[in-house]
Amino acid sequence: MNRRDAIKKVAILLGGTLSAPTLMAMSRWEQPFVQNTEGVLFSLTELQKQIVAEVAEMIIPKTSTAGAKDAGVPAFIEMMLKDCYYEPEHISFMKGVISLEQSKFLDMDAAKRTAMLTKVEAETKQIMKEREVKQTKMGDNDDKEIMKAQAQGLPFWRLMKELTLLGYFTSEVGIKASFEYVQIPSKVENIKLKPNQKAYAY
Amino acid sequence: MNLNIDAQKKNTYDAIVVGSGMTGGFAAKELTEKGLKVLMIERGREVKHVEGYDTAMKEPWDFQHRFRVTAHSAEELWANKRFGGLANEETDGFFTNDKNNPYIEKRPFDWIRAYHTGGKSMHWGRQSYRWNKQDFEANAKEGIGVDWPIRYEDLEKWYTYVEKFVGISGQAEGLDVLPDGHFLPAMPMSAPEAYFKKKMMEKLNRPVTIGRVANLTQPQKEHTDLGRASCQYRNKCARGCPYGAYYSSLSGAIPAANRTKRLTTLHDSIVSEIIYDEKKQKATGVRVINQKTMAVQEYYAKVIFLNAGSMNTSGLMLNSKSHRFPTGLGNDSDQVGRNIMDHHLGVGASATIDGFEEDYIFGQRPNALYIPRFRNWGSDKQSYLRGFGYQGGASRAGWNRGVNTDGFGATFKEDLTKPGSWTIGFGGFGEVLPNPNNRMFLDADKKDKWGIPMIVFDAAFGENEIAMRKDIMNSAQEMLDAAGFKNITGYNRPEVHLGLGIHDMGTARMGRDPKTSVLNAFNQVHDCKNVFVTDGAAMASSSCVNPSITYMALTARAADFAVSELKKKNL
Repeated sequence: MNRRDAIKKVAILLGGTLSAPTLMAMSRWEQPFVQNTEGVLFSLTELQKQIVAEVAEMIIPKTSTAGAKDAGVPAFIEMMLKDCYYEPEHISFMKGVISLEQSKFLDMDAAKRTAMLTKVEAETKQIMKEREVKQTKMGDNDDKEIMKAQAQGLPFWRLMKELTLLGYFTSEVGIKASFEYVQIPSKVENIKLKPNQKAYAY
Repeated sequence: MNLNIDAQKKNTYDAIVVGSGMTGGFAAKELTEKGLKVLMIERGREVKHVEGYDTAMKEPWDFQHRFRVTAHSAEELWANKRFGGLANEETDGFFTNDKNNPYIEKRPFDWIRAYHTGGKSMHWGRQSYRWNKQDFEANAKEGIGVDWPIRYEDLEKWYTYVEKFVGISGQAEGLDVLPDGHFLPAMPMSAPEAYFKKKMMEKLNRPVTIGRVANLTQPQKEHTDLGRASCQYRNKCARGCPYGAYYSSLSGAIPAANRTKRLTTLHDSIVSEIIYDEKKQKATGVRVINQKTMAVQEYYAKVIFLNAGSMNTSGLMLNSKSHRFPTGLGNDSDQVGRNIMDHHLGVGASATIDGFEEDYIFGQRPNALYIPRFRNWGSDKQSYLRGFGYQGGASRAGWNRGVNTDGFGATFKEDLTKPGSWTIGFGGFGEVLPNPNNRMFLDADKKDKWGIPMIVFDAAFGENEIAMRKDIMNSAQEMLDAAGFKNITGYNRPEVHLGLGIHDMGTARMGRDPKTSVLNAFNQVHDCKNVFVTDGAAMASSSCVNPSITYMALTARAADFAVSELKKKNL
């Protein structure tokens, strides 16, 4: 409580340099159960939807087995961002999509697209490293809340990768194409892997 | 007048049990099996065994958000969310909507509740360990809290009794620190786990055992008679088990009680107050509010068992004021609501394991390894008191390792279909000391939507717990290092509060002296002998082992005593 007041004071002292998402997050603390802005900030244009679909398909392409598009991953990603994430991730995800849009990602050939995503991955790795350092410096719970509010949302590439893998490897086509799916194992035992054996999924 | 007498007669039972969870169900079973007509009152909705397990047989892709917590769910189940995935669509039906059932946090408290038939027994961790002799003696030896009025020997046969009924899979090890029980066959360790066990004994002389868990590995007649079958190793226990393979109040105690035809169960019925008769100097019944209709009804009985879950049991006692008990039933000592304990967790370490590339596991073991307490035990002496145990184990990484692995595309996709490398991790469960300043009480003004005063929590971990947590993390790292594992990472989550262990206990403690405790050696309220408290509220200390079978053993023992006292006309 005092910390929240403190942040507000700091914000005023700095002439309002805290970002909009931070201030919005702070207002949410004040009314934790009243306001629910899920989905309001987040919507994709048709072009942006295409970019998300192409990037997902590049992460999990159609090979001899189904790819991300076959498994309905693009729509899954959009639905998950709306339902399970808040403003910081909505903003960071949009930033990533817009950046690809501006660089005319859809007009690139396969090699250029791959080079582009490789670059995005390298940048994301650096951002994630910095986040981890910050997180280990967290002291108490209040500090964590402040960190959360001040932090940027998870970077676009990290969200894309996580949600593409989740959407694909838990979909019916994805599970059945990728793993040995066992609904009811009925026993547990130590075994030796056969060459090229797929993982079990349950 | 006649109508009233008829109504009163209709609402009169031999015993009333408040709560249908781990201990309420067990109390109902014991009391009905001993011939009593019992009314069991559950505040939440009715869940029917098997048919009420909506998500049990769903496929992963049937869950829209694939086990993630939605923003909406996070808002409705805000306290549950602190524990992690509990607020997701796989299991959220067995957790209480926190928005509709708010509580007040003077200091942060993670109150995880389960208002429905079976209570928290529907999704407990199922780890089942007996207390050791020292657990019952430590308070007296160290001058902490109050001395337990019982010892291990008083509970020993009741542990056996409960274990046989519940069905505990485990390995006898012959350790004083973790007394053996009556076990069904143990579940297997994976190859790296067996290696770890061997290394710990060689290098640190620390035993490691497979978890003792309430899942049937080899059902006995008393289990199959109730319709319970063998574990299918799906590890989806928290959804409710359609095979009745893990023990819950719903799969075990309640069917056993129903079998006697002496059990009546009420649902959606919140007990607001215990009725105390000043002339008879005992409790005569309870006042109940229907959570849907708000209708108020009274029920009467010779004996009343409080098994509402520690915090609600003590809340109910505090709300039951009379001329004799102006600050709440049984609260002469001012200890009702004090001494909140739990087990602190969210601290441990993990590592990666080289090798064992050809070793794999078929099936999902709903269980882990257990490393019994080694601190302040034998010749070990620490700057803090008591100790902790570890739970954890080894597994091969799944597809989700891809999130933090570089790359994308066809090869990346193909690699993720293979089992990943082995990782291992352990988290501690630490004992919490009783402290009268760690308390809950009823708010003087604020009421819930049924007009019952809201519960306020004012509790936090003390220096002993904080010192122990450092050791839990460091010792876990040392052990993983001693085993030769790599990339060792320790963690000590700063946002863990009392309550998060979901082992909240201690708010109506047993003791020898009515001036300093609430219950006697048979869980009777000192000055209101026909009221028994046999849930976690009764605990005078917390040990570091998971508490449920101790609660059940206390319940069975108290029920046996209550029935013999009724027969002697002492109640």
